[in-house]
Amino acid sequence: MFGKIQATALALILALPMAAQAAKVKIGFVNSITGPEAPIGENLTNGVTLALEDLKKKGIDVELVKEDDTGKPEKSMAAFEKMATRDRVAGIVGPYSSKCANAIAKLAEKYKTPLLIPVASKEEITRQNLKWTFRLSATTYDYATILLDMATSLGKPRTIAIINENTDFGTSGAKSAKDYAGKKGIRVVAEEAYAPGSPDYRSTLTKIKSKKPDLVFMVSYVADAILLMRQSREIGITPQAFLGAGAGFATVSFAKEKAISSNVFSSTQWTGDVNWPGAKEFNRRYIAKFGKEPTYHAATAYESMMIMAETAAKAGGNQEKIRSALKSGKWNGIMGEVKFADYEGYTNQNKHQMLVEQIQNGVHQTVYPPKYVSKKPVYPFPGWR
Amino acid sequence: MTIFLQSLISGILIGGVYALIGIGLTIIFGVMRVINFAHGDLLMVGMYGTFYLFTLFNIDPFISIVITMPLMFLYGGFLQKVFINRILGALPQNQILLTIGMGLIMSNGIMLAFTSDYKILSTDYSSSSFDILGISISTPLLISFAITAGITVVLYWFLLKTDTGQAIRATAQDREAAQLMGINVKRMSIIAFGLGASLAGTAGALISPTYYIFPQVGSTFTLKAFVITVLGGMGSIVGATLGGILIGVAESIGGVYFGSGWKEVVVFVLFLLVLLFKPSGLMGKSNT
Amino acid sequence: MKPLFKNTTGIGALPAITGLLVVVLLFLFPRFVENTYALHIMILIFISIVMGSSWNLLGGYTGQYSVGHCAYFGMGAYTTMMLMQFRQIPPWLGIWCGMVAALVVALIIGSICFRLRGPYFVLASIAVAEILRVSALNLKNITNGAEGILTTEIPPLKIGGALITDFSSKVPFYYAGLVFVLLVILVTWLLQNSKLGYYFQAIREDQDAAHSLGISLTFYKNVALSLSAVLTSLAGSLYAVYVGFIDPSTVLALDLSVQIVLICIIGGIGTIFGPVIGALVLVPLSEALRSNMIGESLINSGIVKADSAFGSFLTENLSHAHVLIYGVLVVVVILFMPDGVLGFAKALAARKRKEVV
Repeated sequence: MFGKIQATALALILALPMAAQAAKVKIGFVNSITGPEAPIGENLTNGVTLALEDLKKKGIDVELVKEDDTGKPEKSMAAFEKMATRDRVAGIVGPYSSKCANAIAKLAEKYKTPLLIPVASKEEITRQNLKWTFRLSATTYDYATILLDMATSLGKPRTIAIINENTDFGTSGAKSAKDYAGKKGIRVVAEEAYAPGSPDYRSTLTKIKSKKPDLVFMVSYVADAILLMRQSREIGITPQAFLGAGAGFATVSFAKEKAISSNVFSSTQWTGDVNWPGAKEFNRRYIAKFGKEPTYHAATAYESMMIMAETAAKAGGNQEKIRSALKSGKWNGIMGEVKFADYEGYTNQNKHQMLVEQIQNGVHQTVYPPKYVSKKPVYPFPGWR
Repeated sequence: MTIFLQSLISGILIGGVYALIGIGLTIIFGVMRVINFAHGDLLMVGMYGTFYLFTLFNIDPFISIVITMPLMFLYGGFLQKVFINRILGALPQNQILLTIGMGLIMSNGIMLAFTSDYKILSTDYSSSSFDILGISISTPLLISFAITAGITVVLYWFLLKTDTGQAIRATAQDREAAQLMGINVKRMSIIAFGLGASLAGTAGALISPTYYIFPQVGSTFTLKAFVITVLGGMGSIVGATLGGILIGVAESIGGVYFGSGWKEVVVFVLFLLVLLFKPSGLMGKSNT
Repeated sequence: MKPLFKNTTGIGALPAITGLLVVVLLFLFPRFVENTYALHIMILIFISIVMGSSWNLLGGYTGQYSVGHCAYFGMGAYTTMMLMQFRQIPPWLGIWCGMVAALVVALIIGSICFRLRGPYFVLASIAVAEILRVSALNLKNITNGAEGILTTEIPPLKIGGALITDFSSKVPFYYAGLVFVLLVILVTWLLQNSKLGYYFQAIREDQDAAHSLGISLTFYKNVALSLSAVLTSLAGSLYAVYVGFIDPSTVLALDLSVQIVLICIIGGIGTIFGPVIGALVLVPLSEALRSNMIGESLINSGIVKADSAFGSFLTENLSHAHVLIYGVLVVVVILFMPDGVLGFAKALAARKRKEVV
C-alpha cells in the first residue's frame, strides 16, 4: 500500500509533460507571489512584465517560467531545482526576499545556472565567493550609510534613535545604522525593535520622545511606516530629520499621506525622476499599465530581467557563456550603470548608487547625492502642521 | 511618569478594541466549544467591508458599522449553518482544522479579489489627537473605545434580558440540558457564530481608520483573541472585556519597560501564569 | 516490573515482505534517479513524515492536541545550526544536542500545559511556542535574531579517516531522512503493540477512566510528549542542515505547527501509516499547486489553449490561488473524510467488499 502510493506520487512528479525545448530563451523567475511578502512581490512581477514587452520589441522572445516561493526558503529551493533540472532555463531572476536568496544562491553554484538577484539586500548573499550568483541592488548597509551621510552633510546631528521592525531586513538595517553612526560620531540614544503588525506604538514613541534624539531612523515595511509616523505626530516627536530606510517609506501610499509624510527622508535604490537612461519613461509606462507608481523593487526586477534575457539571448542559452558575459559586461539602463564586480569581500556585486528621496507635497523628490538632485532637501524638519 | 501614564491610557484605549474581538470569540466558544481559528479573518473581512464602504460610497467607518454589523452577522450565521454545524459532534482537532481551512479560504479569496496590496483608510481624523496634561489621546481611538463600551452594554442587556439571549446562555452552560428544555441548539449556534462574527467585523471596522488592511492581517488578532479569551475565562463576557483591556495595557507598558521586542512575551507569560494558577480564567468558575 | 515494550501481535508474511521490498527500493532510489528535483521532493516528504508521525504519538495515540509542535522542530533546528555555525560542532553530533534541547523544553512545557485539558491545552501549547519564537527573535546574541542562521560550510563526515560524505549532494540528506522515517515508524509500531501504547490510548479514550485504573495521567502524558518532541527535533535538525538557513519565522512559526497537525488529520490520526499518507498527499500536492503544474499540464497537453481566456486564467490567476485551493481541500477533507484519507479508503474498501458479497 505504502509503496504503491509512493510510486504513484513520484510518477506524478516525474511524468508531468516536459516543456518542449524552444529556440527562444527560457528564463526562470522566482518570486513571492503569495505569502506575507506578496504585496512587494507584486511589484517585481509587474517590473518583469514590462521587461518582457521591451525584450519582445528588441526581438528577444522570452519564455518565462514563473515560480512562487511563498516566501519560504525550502519552497524557493524546490522552485530552483525544478527550473534548473526540469525546465532547463538559461538563467534565473529572483527571488524577492533575502532568506530565499540565501537558500538558493548555493544551488546556482551547484547547477551552474546563473542567478541574478534583483533586490534582496542582505550582505552575506554575495559574500560567499559564489561564482554563479549576481546581485543588482545595493546591500542593506548602504540603506543606512547614505542617509547618515546626507544628514551629516546637511546638519550637525549628535544623537540618533533607531526604531526597526524585528525582521531580517529590519535588524540588519538597524545594525548597519548603529555601526555607521558610531563611525560618524553620532550617539545612539534609543534602540527599539518592534514586532510588525501591532496597532499601537505610542508607548515606544513616548519613550523615544523623552530622549530628544536629533535623528529618528526607522526601518519598516509598507504599512507600519504610516502607523509609526501617524503616532509620532500624535505624540509630537520633532527631531532634525526622520530617516526611513527604504521599504515602507519609499512607497506611494506613504507619500500620499501628506499630513504625516511631508519632509520624511527615505533611502532608495531607484526613483522615478532620477536621470538614469529610461528611468522616467519606465515610470510613465508603469503608471499607465498598472495604475500606480513603480517602487524600486519593480525597477530592479525590470533591469535584472533585461540584463539576464539579453545576455542569455546573445550567448545562445549557453550557461557558461552567460556567466562570463554577466561577469565582463557593462550596462547602462534605468538602474544607472551596472557592473558586477569583486570588491571588499563581495563577489559579482553591482556597486549600485543609492539615492535619498524626500517627500515634498506628497511626492517623492530625489534630494541626495547632489549629482541626481531634482529638488533641494528641506532640513531640518520644520515641525508638524 | 508621563511615559507610564501615556502607555496606560493608550493601552486601555486599544484594549477596548481587543475586548470586542475577545468577546466575539468567547461567545462562539461558550456556545459551541469550538476554538475559532478564523476569528482574525472575520475581522479582516469586516475591515475590507469598511474600507470599500468608505472609498466607494464615502461612508465614515464609525457610521458604516450599522451596515457591517448585520452583514457580518449574516455571514457568520451562514458559515455556521453550512460548515460548522455539520461537525459539531466531531473530534475537537477536526473542528480546529475546519476553522483554519475557512480562514485560509477567506484570506486568500480576499487576496485574489483585491490583491495583496496594503490598503490604508485615511480619514481626516486618522492621526488627530488632543493633549491632556502632556498625555496625547488619539481621537479615533477614543471614539472607537466609546462605541465598544456601548456595544458591550447592549450585548449584556441582550444576553441577560431577552429570551434569545437567555437561550444562548443556557446552551453555553449545558448543551444537552438546553436541548431537553426545548431550545433549538443548532439555531442558537447560528446566532452565536453570527454574533461572534459581527463583533469581530465591528472591531475590524473600528480600528480601520488608525490601522491598515491586508489579506493576512487576521493572524495577529486571532492569537490575541485566544489570549484574551483564556485570560478572562472561556465563555465569560465580563472576563473577555477585562482580558482585552488587560492585554492592551500589558502590551503597552511591557513595550516601554521590557523593550518593544519583548512585549509579546509579557503577554504570553501573563497568559501562562493565569492558566497555571487559575485555569478557568480570571472570571471563570474554578471547577476545571 | 513488567516490560513496557512487548510485542503481542505477529505480523503476516505478506505485509512483511512488501514492507521490506519498499524499504529496499527506497534505499536504492538515489542510485537510479538522478533528478535532484525528485530527490528534493522526497526529502521534503521524509521530513513531513517524521514530523507528522512524531506528532501522532502525542496527538493520535494519547489524544493531546498540541498546536505548538514547531517548538520542538525549532529547538532541533536551532540547536544543531547554532552548534554547527558558532561552535564548529558537526551536525551529526549537534542533532543529539537538539534532541536533548527538545526534551528539556518538552518537560518544561509538559509540566505547565498538562495541568490543562482540551482547548486549554491547545491554546497553552500555542502560547509556549510563541514565547519561544519571540525569544529566538530577541536573543540576538545567541540566535542571531531575525537575521537567522546561514550555513557557510558543513564539515565532511569521516569515520576513521575514510570519507563517508561531504554533503555536497542531496543523497546523504535523503538517506538521513529515510533512516529517520524508518525510526519513527518503528517507534510507532513498537508503541502500538506495547503496554505503554495501551496506556496512551486509554488516556486518549477516557482520561478519568484511565486515571481510575491507576494510570498516572501526568506521567504518561509527559512520556508521550517527550518521545514526540525528541523525534520532532530530528525533523527540525534535518530541515535546518538541508536547507542551510533558518530563522524564527520559518522554523518556529504557528504555520508550521498547523501543518504538522494537518499532515496527520489528512492522513488519519492514531494509525501507523496515517502521517505517511498525509505527507505523501500534502507535499506533492502543495508542490504541484505552487508550481502550477496542473494548469501547465492542461495547457501543454493541448486540452486548454494557452492564449485562450481560460488558459490565461490558469497561468495568471491559478498561481495566486494555490493556498486558496489548499484551504478548500482542508475543508472538504474535514467535512467528508473526518477520519482522514486512510480512514476514508478503508471505509470505501469495506463498502466495496460488502457489495461483492
